[in-house]
Amino acid sequence: MSADVTAISAHADTLHADACALAACAERLRAVEAALEAGGAAPAWLRASVEYHVGACASAAADLETASRRLRRWADQASPPARSG
Amino acid sequence: MSEPDDQDPEPLRAAARELVDIAITIHDVAARATSALTDGALLRALPHGLPAAGPAYRALLRATTNSRGLGHALTGGRLATLAAKAAAMMGAESLAVRVLATSLRLRVAAVALSHPELAADPMLTRLIDAAAADRDLEAVRALRALLKDRGAVRALSQLAPVFGEVLALRALLDENPLNDATAWLIATGKGFATADPITGMSNRAIAALDSGEGAARRVELTVAESGLLCRRGSLLGFLGNIAAIGTGGRVLIQSVRGPDGVVRHVVQAPGMRGGRPDLDSPQDLLGAFSSAVLASSPYSRALAKAVADYGLPQGAEVALIGHSAGGAAIMNLAQDPAFCARHTLTHVVAVGAPVDFKRTADPRTWVASVTNQHDLIPTLDGQGAGTVFDLHPGWYVVDYTDPTHLFPLCHSVEHYLANLSDDLPEARAHIDARLTAFRGPVLRSQAYLLSDRPAAPEGFPFLTVPTHPVDGPGRAVELPIRCHDGSALTAYFAADFEAAARLVEGTGLGPAVGVRGRALVAVHAAWNRHTSVGGYREVQAGIVVPGPSRPHPLSVWPDLLRPADRRRSGTLLVGSAVDSALVRALAPRLWGGQTVMTAAHVLLGARSAHVSAGQVLTLRGRLGPGLPVRDPDLVGYTCEAGGALRSCVRTRGQARLHLAPRMRLSVEQHPHHRLAVRLRELGLDGARPLLCLSAGIRQTRRDNAVPVPLA
Repeated sequence: MSADVTAISAHADTLHADACALAACAERLRAVEAALEAGGAAPAWLRASVEYHVGACASAAADLETASRRLRRWADQASPPARSG
Repeated sequence: MSEPDDQDPEPLRAAARELVDIAITIHDVAARATSALTDGALLRALPHGLPAAGPAYRALLRATTNSRGLGHALTGGRLATLAAKAAAMMGAESLAVRVLATSLRLRVAAVALSHPELAADPMLTRLIDAAAADRDLEAVRALRALLKDRGAVRALSQLAPVFGEVLALRALLDENPLNDATAWLIATGKGFATADPITGMSNRAIAALDSGEGAARRVELTVAESGLLCRRGSLLGFLGNIAAIGTGGRVLIQSVRGPDGVVRHVVQAPGMRGGRPDLDSPQDLLGAFSSAVLASSPYSRALAKAVADYGLPQGAEVALIGHSAGGAAIMNLAQDPAFCARHTLTHVVAVGAPVDFKRTADPRTWVASVTNQHDLIPTLDGQGAGTVFDLHPGWYVVDYTDPTHLFPLCHSVEHYLANLSDDLPEARAHIDARLTAFRGPVLRSQAYLLSDRPAAPEGFPFLTVPTHPVDGPGRAVELPIRCHDGSALTAYFAADFEAAARLVEGTGLGPAVGVRGRALVAVHAAWNRHTSVGGYREVQAGIVVPGPSRPHPLSVWPDLLRPADRRRSGTLLVGSAVDSALVRALAPRLWGGQTVMTAAHVLLGARSAHVSAGQVLTLRGRLGPGLPVRDPDLVGYTCEAGGALRSCVRTRGQARLHLAPRMRLSVEQHPHHRLAVRLRELGLDGARPLLCLSAGIRQTRRDNAVPVPLA
């Protein structure tokens, strides 16, 4: 069981990191759009697309964060209780 | 000629690249989430019934399927891939795919800055928008309208600069899961399109149909072709050579003395030849495809054989110049470590070729790629004018556009020649400068005909038979006479039965075979163009007879269709003529009887024929429709004192049976010419044949006639 707990914990850590990565993706998407807008090169449809992607990234990041949190709770429950004394 | 500078497309390209990177990040995140969902450790722990397990699993499932988040993002692993394909078939997409689609749209927008005609054309815009918005029906309608308005050639030509992007967009967003991997590769620039972006059919599976170890044999160019070859090495000279030798399956190798006095060598490879796929040439459609898709193809292997035959010294400096499929084939040669170990490959110039994902085995090899942005062929690997990836920072890439937007015109080597000559002087000068070591007088030129695999011995196996010498006039001659290439016409007439009966009487071979109360007579003419005794023409006439065993008259007809070694019926020769003194001298041995020497012509076309034999006969007219049949063997009889001679012509080839020929036989009035006299006796002057058999290409064997005892 301890091996499974380790695996569950590892996935929880990974998903947390990936939630952060998706948040960073959202920022990068905003930066792309902003740069094109500033240069007057952005196609008319770009803003709507980027906003959609940014929203999806945020939503996905929240999903992953939730999954990470729940996996961690699962790992905690599955961990053998620490022996006292 | 190149890109206009009104608005710089680079920011859009940079944005497209950034979005590709973001899409890959999202895809990797999705893969890790899927990995957690399908991890055996978690699945094993699940049945233990801990209260937190269920919610955790549900959260994972939501993370990988939430259409407002990662989308249907199951990826990696067999089960997840199957689930992803099922989701794709239902139109579900992942966030990574949507971001990648936006990247492709930015690429299209970047290309449109260089090609304002794309954005200005409402029909093209409608199609691109529909593809980008995943509106299938609208996309199909837009494409139909475009094809109807412009025709396929113009429509494809106009779409060419964004062809890869539009196909990838469609493939990413459509419901066909088989083309998703290809779309991903095109959009991310990670590799060659592994499948047809429309159907998803595997490119490698199609390319695998082109098999063979490759072969090359030396061929001589015509005087006119040789006259067109360059006498000094240069880019335009080498491309001019490629234009001169054409796409007939040939390549050219030249040796040039460089300015430093060193002799170097240039391999020049043309593109695809026309015609049906998978001819024996590696330059056919399949060959072009496999050269582009595979790292080694029959074309490149045949090229290596040609180079080996040419006899280059070990380590000799070599440049490869190729157009279209030839460009892909020379790049395959360039990425062959064994070839590069034998020779010092210094330069490769690929023109109008899909070579984006090729790599040279020797990093020192200098590579130039020249492509017209309206040429579809270089985009077959998925990367065209819209690519945002610098796949080969060390290559010299000329990706240009010119006012001629029509494909395939802009793909021809002549068009590239004209562009490099007149419109791209800087690019030409740059490539020529790099080719300086090859810019000197041409010392030797050798053309090769390439094939997928070594050719079988000529005439094998039909003409590979034991031979025996016989005395001919002035020299020994080998029998049987083997004809490698010939054509023949046999016309069947209804002749005067009484006259035929008189000729057959007493031979022991009759009676003459009758048809509606008349005798069946065959006039056979053959042009044996290439035989073991030289080329010759022959004309023979004979009455169809049952043969010496007198079978039932009704059994003659099926017997006529049997191979010679099982046939009893044949034609009783009433005369023959040839235009070869040697064959005439051999005739008594070959078929007996008297044979006259005369000028003869046998011209056989698909629809008409013209046969003439000196002062004997003329048979000409339209053959009419023909049914394909096997070219039947011929059996002839001549009467000798006390018996008969039976001669056979064994044939191999296809013939056509013409049931309603519109031909006419004219027989000259020549009292001393046996064949003319007999044909007139038979009442065949002015006669029309009942039916004809024509064979445009055939092989034959003719051996000694054999005496047949008569009852």
